[in-house]
Amino acid sequence: MTAFLSKRLAALLLVWFVAVIVTFVAVQFVPGDPIMVLLSDHSGDQVMEARLRAEYGLDRPLWQQFLSYLGSIADGTFGLSYRFAGREVFEVIQGGLFITPILAIAALLLAIPSGVFLGVAAAVRAGSLADTAIILVLVAGISVPNFALATVLVYLLSIQAGMLPVAGWGSFAQAVLPVVVLTIPPMAYIARLTRSYMLEVLERDYIRTARAKGVRDRLVVWRHALRNTMVPLMTSIGIIFGGLLSGAFVVETIFNIPGLGRIAIDSIFARDYPVTMSIVLLFTVFYSLINLAVDVSYALIDPRIRLGGEGA
Amino acid sequence: MTDTAAPLRQRSDFWLRFRHSRNAMIGAVIVTVVVLVAVFAPWLAPKDPTKVSVLFSWRHPGEDGFILGTDALGRDVFSRLILGARVSLLVAVSVLAITMTVGVILGMIAAWTRGWTDGIIMRTVDVVFAFPELIIAILVAAVMGPGTLTVIVALAMVWWPGIARMTRALVLGLREELFVEAAVACGTPPWKIMLRHFLPNIVSPLIVRASIGVGFIIMAEATLSFLGIGVQEPAPTWGGMIRDGLPHLRSDPHLALSASAALGITMIGFNMLGDGLRDILDPKVRL
Repeated sequence: MTAFLSKRLAALLLVWFVAVIVTFVAVQFVPGDPIMVLLSDHSGDQVMEARLRAEYGLDRPLWQQFLSYLGSIADGTFGLSYRFAGREVFEVIQGGLFITPILAIAALLLAIPSGVFLGVAAAVRAGSLADTAIILVLVAGISVPNFALATVLVYLLSIQAGMLPVAGWGSFAQAVLPVVVLTIPPMAYIARLTRSYMLEVLERDYIRTARAKGVRDRLVVWRHALRNTMVPLMTSIGIIFGGLLSGAFVVETIFNIPGLGRIAIDSIFARDYPVTMSIVLLFTVFYSLINLAVDVSYALIDPRIRLGGEGA
Repeated sequence: MTDTAAPLRQRSDFWLRFRHSRNAMIGAVIVTVVVLVAVFAPWLAPKDPTKVSVLFSWRHPGEDGFILGTDALGRDVFSRLILGARVSLLVAVSVLAITMTVGVILGMIAAWTRGWTDGIIMRTVDVVFAFPELIIAILVAAVMGPGTLTVIVALAMVWWPGIARMTRALVLGLREELFVEAAVACGTPPWKIMLRHFLPNIVSPLIVRASIGVGFIIMAEATLSFLGIGVQEPAPTWGGMIRDGLPHLRSDPHLALSASAALGITMIGFNMLGDGLRDILDPKVRL
């Protein structure tokens, strides 16, 4: 286990290192001079230009800029924003820091039980009308992009029925639609996986043995079969989380939620590269930590993973 | 038995199973319609999709001969939907062509050489996989600025590693086959072995991959265009139409709803076709 963990941690650090390098290099290739943008009307003022350049550290050689970039990441300030002169990036993004993870985790916590339930319900009635109906809903849930889904739901529930607020952030009612929109795609995905794993597991010998022993049907399905379905399901949590992070960008845009996703999109248009790159870094770290957690818990459950060479 | 008998029987077997798969058939019908619409879009569109005429703005469906009404600039929504299919598919086909070429070549090289070349290629693949898809797109958009090329580059960067990893795994299996050994013993050059012996044997899983991939690429393009960092105005895109229509959902719901429907139905079609093809060509993997 120690060897497995140290290998995974090394991979994690490599990814973070690559992310830091890539974000730094990316900013070097960006068109335009941020200082001239900041100066705007005062573009002729050379004293001010020199002062700003010194303040942002852009007058120093590249390797020094890289070191101070590393330093700004280490102390959590992430350097200075290009759009809001003199303000630290952390100040710009701190409002959204927890909104996006909360949205993603809430959706994940809802999607897992509901998806597993739908998947099992379809699998035990395989071939029936109910199964076909569930499959159709799942295909739609996986296929229809979340912003198209959101558009339809906002139209039906908020505008036509007047049940929920159209957009905004702060109250419980305002959180309902964003979370629902975020939940449906991963729910459908989990349900489809559960259904196919379940169908496979239900064919196994030990299930037949349990049935032959006279174990009640419900117990066979929910205890014996489901347990073995959960293991392969766990590996897909990482993929699902990646989807949820992308979903957060969309949902925050539609529902006007001041999360990291919206701040990132706004900063692209404002050419506020330090803000964009800090969010890229944060999302990468967040995503890699989730994947590490999934890998570790998977290895804890299944000894073949930590003993065998290649992981998933 | 002649040489052509075996593949011919396989082919008719494929169509037989295809016709019996309800998913594949429904998906195929939807995809065919979308593809035809995309190909013949300029002739099918009743009006110029980019022609601005403020006099005719905000028409509801059916008014003044606009089947699905007009948007804020008086552009015909129906024509924009039709041309939107073309934009989506063009992006998808470009991304697919790039990623298939790069992914298959690198995957084959990795599997053939093993050693350090393999190491470099596969570690690169691992690193790309470690980033969430949209984050890569955001990074590319930040550097290149929003636009069609940005979408294609970003999605190509996201998609090639999956193809490379799959190709490598398939070719590693094929390497051990007797016919490859025979080819090597005959002194066949590696590129010829890859082209003649590996490629034909990995085509069907690649097709499954591509058919599922197209759907996801269309979805990704629409998402980026919706966020405003994808294909730019005046080119009509479904994602862009939904974004523009959202603020007017109360007064002019047809703008966002029609594009949502077009996108949703197209996605369902591609996914059903992909699932169906996977069941037919690769019965072992059922997801």
